[in-house]
Amino acid sequence: MDDLTEMLKGTLEGCVLEIIGGEETYGYAITRQLNELGFGDVVEGTVYTILLRLERNKLVQVTKRPSEQGPPRKFYALNAAGRRELATFWAKWEYVTTRIEKLKEGGR
Amino acid sequence: MNIWETITGSDLTREYKAFDGRAQALPADHRAAWEQIKAELLPYGDFTGRNLMPILDGALGLLEETAAQGQGVDEVLGDDVAGFCAALAGGEGSRTYRDRWREQLNKNVAKKLGRLGG
Repeated sequence: MDDLTEMLKGTLEGCVLEIIGGEETYGYAITRQLNELGFGDVVEGTVYTILLRLERNKLVQVTKRPSEQGPPRKFYALNAAGRRELATFWAKWEYVTTRIEKLKEGGR
Repeated sequence: MNIWETITGSDLTREYKAFDGRAQALPADHRAAWEQIKAELLPYGDFTGRNLMPILDGALGLLEETAAQGQGVDEVLGDDVAGFCAALAGGEGSRTYRDRWREQLNKNVAKKLGRLGG
């Protein structure tokens, strides 16, 4: 599905949080995982800016590790604040989706 | 940073040169993207452009990392370099030229008004 960018905007940060919450990982792997999920529009730059924001908001713990090729890679893991943020994201998601579903079914 | 560097921005010139040196090692398409990123980020600079340095460093790092992995530039930045740069600069709390102008204008107006009132 193309042109999901606008719709994804508000939720991508939560998706990245969820992926990091699974296991410690790095930017490229996160992008790949999102692509495999079917979000082909997501490029590494997008994920990079999200990771920057998460780092700035102190939701992740960052570890630099040397990689086989190129400069050292930054690995990201959720800290306590990040896990709280993730729980909040899912709560909001639940709220929005149930209401939109209701709307779709013609309920008020 | 000593006072001489603060005034002349000589440390920035040095840093800029270092960035471009690193960029020389990038493949052609990544290098082109680097030039574009620099141009896009410029309006987000404060008076000296010092606030852009860590942002540029990060963007260059991303280009280096992805070039080493053999990713094409479109896989990295997509087709929206401007949006990428806005996202990069936006969260940084970086003040732009426009903010400074606005602030100055506000201050001047406030001063004038104050004088009138007093």
